[in-house]
Amino acid sequence: MSNALWVAVLASAVGTLLIRVLPLFWMQRRLERQASDDGLEAMPQWLSLLGPLMIAAVFGVSLMPVTPDAVSWLATLIGVSATLAVWWLKRTLGWPVAAGVAAYGLVMMFFG
Amino acid sequence: MSLQAASSPTRAWLTGISEAVPLLGGYVPVAISFGLIATQAGFSAWEAVAISTLIYAGASQFLFVGMVAAGAPLWLVVAMTLLINLRHVVYAPNLAPWLTSSRLWPWLMHGLTDQIFAMAHARLPQLPASQRLGWFTGAALLAWLSWIGGTALGAVAGGELIARWALMGEILPFALPALFLVLIAPRFTSRRWSLALGLTILSALLLTILGLTNLAIPLAAACGALCFQVVKLGHTPRRENSQGERHE
Repeated sequence: MSNALWVAVLASAVGTLLIRVLPLFWMQRRLERQASDDGLEAMPQWLSLLGPLMIAAVFGVSLMPVTPDAVSWLATLIGVSATLAVWWLKRTLGWPVAAGVAAYGLVMMFFG
Repeated sequence: MSLQAASSPTRAWLTGISEAVPLLGGYVPVAISFGLIATQAGFSAWEAVAISTLIYAGASQFLFVGMVAAGAPLWLVVAMTLLINLRHVVYAPNLAPWLTSSRLWPWLMHGLTDQIFAMAHARLPQLPASQRLGWFTGAALLAWLSWIGGTALGAVAGGELIARWALMGEILPFALPALFLVLIAPRFTSRRWSLALGLTILSALLLTILGLTNLAIPLAAACGALCFQVVKLGHTPRRENSQGERHE
């Protein structure tokens, strides 16, 4: 890798870190100000709204199978149903994921 | 792996690691693909690992090596990489109310990927303050190391692995949507939230099917936010909590 390419890697790395960390400093200052001024709303509503919606969007993107075809879409549907069913029963993090992957895998192995 | 809070700092680390295990199903196969594609694009194994270690942002890394291989100007490569990662700008402020005063937090933001954010957004509010740093460190570190390890594996033996374990490479990534589903399901607390979240999920999926994967997350979230603001279905009896209901 040339020196110029290393600079590009480092610039991308530092830029990505700043994108992740600078808003944290902004919010922390806002929270400190709010502690001394009861009238200030700590988190703007649009920002607190975007949190859950970004997770929902990442979920939507991740639903796309690696190789999209009828079987993988069927497996996705069954995997999602199995995950939801086990989450409804157990309200835990690990078991629903394991059940979803198992259901998805079974459909892929039997029909794929 | 229950949603109960851990009871000691050491336990918090281990809880973070154990709760992040489902991420490996999604991270490792994609990291293997990245390692393979990077070496095919002319990068050495060490260079691929360096990119994964330093940039650590899945989609933008694929774009980075693809554009470099295609001979794009480096300023444009950097600009596009940062543009794709711009969605991360809303993550840390959403976690800030639950972060403690440790000086480690800004450095830990290097590990604030889509997946770690989704987990932390659900879990940090449930944990006692003394457990949060340990939990986040454990979860973020496991995810980061798995991404680096997967890249190394892909760069060294990716072709053989993908040929041999093709089906596993298709099955294991389902751990990611399953995990996101578990994190988002408790937030369907009202008709208004259900509509906004449902629209976000559907539009993200549709945009991905149309090949607009990089735009899908911010655009779909914007659609959902618009829906939440515009559709006032709820003459809800209780106050709408804009952060959804915590799932203790």
